[in-house]
Amino acid sequence: MVGQLSEYVKALTSELSEKKIDVNVVTYDDRLTGETQESSGVKTVRVNNPVKTHIGVLTWVLTLNQEVERVSANLYYDSNKKIDLINVFDWHFIPAAVTLKNGLGIPFIYSIESLEEHRSPTANSSYNMAIKSIEWLGFYESHIAIVKSEWMKEEVIRIYKVPKEKIAVIPSTQEATVNKILKIYHSIREEPRNKT
Amino acid sequence: MMLSWEYPPRVIGGISPHIYFLSKYLSKQNVKVYVVTCDFPGAPAHEVIGNVEVYRVDSYKSPSPDFATWVYLMNMNMQKETAALMKKIGDKVNVIHAHDWLVANAGIGLKHVFRKPLIVTMHSTEMGRRDGLHTTAERMIHETEAWLTYEAWKVICCSDYMITHVRYAFGLPNDKLAMVPNGVNTHSYEFDNDCEIFRAKFALPEEKIALFVGRLVYEKGVQILINAVPKILAKVNTKFIIVGSGYMKEQLLNIVQSMGLEHKVLFEGFMDETTLQKLQKCADVSIVPSLFEPFGIVALEAMAARSPVVASDTGGLSEIIEHDKTGVKVYPNNPDSLAWGIIKILKDETYANYIRDNAYRRVQERYDWQKIASDTKSIYEAVLSEYSKSFWAKTV
Repeated sequence: MVGQLSEYVKALTSELSEKKIDVNVVTYDDRLTGETQESSGVKTVRVNNPVKTHIGVLTWVLTLNQEVERVSANLYYDSNKKIDLINVFDWHFIPAAVTLKNGLGIPFIYSIESLEEHRSPTANSSYNMAIKSIEWLGFYESHIAIVKSEWMKEEVIRIYKVPKEKIAVIPSTQEATVNKILKIYHSIREEPRNKT
Repeated sequence: MMLSWEYPPRVIGGISPHIYFLSKYLSKQNVKVYVVTCDFPGAPAHEVIGNVEVYRVDSYKSPSPDFATWVYLMNMNMQKETAALMKKIGDKVNVIHAHDWLVANAGIGLKHVFRKPLIVTMHSTEMGRRDGLHTTAERMIHETEAWLTYEAWKVICCSDYMITHVRYAFGLPNDKLAMVPNGVNTHSYEFDNDCEIFRAKFALPEEKIALFVGRLVYEKGVQILINAVPKILAKVNTKFIIVGSGYMKEQLLNIVQSMGLEHKVLFEGFMDETTLQKLQKCADVSIVPSLFEPFGIVALEAMAARSPVVASDTGGLSEIIEHDKTGVKVYPNNPDSLAWGIIKILKDETYANYIRDNAYRRVQERYDWQKIASDTKSIYEAVLSEYSKSFWAKTV
């Protein structure tokens, strides 16, 4: 666990699984790599970085993405190509989601916990700008972006000029959170694939 | 599907001409080739050259703090664009062929997403370029190279020396490695050239021309040539022409200045291809004093231009040059030995002509692109035959 995202995704995926949704979680762990079946029914695949030495966070994230992409592609083929949707949380695995979308035609949702603009408010180094460019790519390539507050929606519109129709606000504190997310999942699944 | 960070007109090192000729001659052997590469000012995003389709992707989409980070960010975009292209053209792509670590992420990612075999050509290694691994960035690049060769179905190297080096550096099994030499286009040197007039731009009529072509970096050994200059000048009146640029340029200029030899050693920087070929044809000797050289394409080009070559007895150069027959081999990192080799060529016109003729014949016999493309095609076919029996072939 690095932040609150870990617990949030665990709770969300468990509830989705209870609602008979097949959920696969692809995540990072430096040691506990491989596939596990959680008691909730969620299948979790943990990957580590194929390159151990790095000069910064960006190179670490970008090489880790390839492992995320590899196991996601394996899940896709192992399920007879029946992965309907990818939900990517924050900027870290956007590169993998974008390639999987463009190569295999799987639409993806971009769920935003925080933005680089807020994490590093005054920093505009090329490092920060690179992360912002990946966030922008996530908004551009995703089918829909999910934020947790109206304030964040306004921020996404202000910083990345994302059309407001593309942003859904689903606060995580509401009891109906999962149902709302599920409704979005179903709406994307029912749309023709050529839209993605 | 060929992936490379450079393709003409973007020329940074030897990979660019390699991809150009390999794809051109593969397509002449009925292999449909798609090349995905980095963009270049003025070059179209999509270009059809013969039967080769070239796609240039935006390589500066994300700002990057340093070169290595840029490489991984460029790969992110190259991978995305190539994935969309491969989806669009359907099942026409049989193999993915990645050249060097610079496209490692894209090659590995596309391999898994489309479940296609990955073939890798290792043109060089970080360990060889840096003479060891000294910094965090160098170790990161080395590990990326190791990861790329691990993911590859087959790893192609351009010399027996590189096969041994790559096997040692990444611990690869023998049957994963294949040797296909680099090639040179001898036809591009078949033009009339009035050396009497052209050489006057660089040297006095009584001066011999000694030519160095290459990046001005440590492993290319240009500093050894500079150290040998006074010894050569003591015996033969020569003008030394240095073509290329690199991080050592300032340092080398200072050394030449401190020796008082600015009038004898000319730093020409980058040179357009036509001028360079004319110069190679007029050069009385071409010098390749490298400390690390996976192949040594510059030596091959000089041989195609009928310029006698003096080269370090190291790496791929040792295999290209047969001493006293197709060139002169000297001890690496040894200015005395280098001076001896250069003087030997410059003082004996008959010997120089003997070397010229033999070297030209050798290039035509062994380093023809038609043969290299044919060898590469055979590797593709062998890999595809193995792949067809794998479970991957049944799941896509």
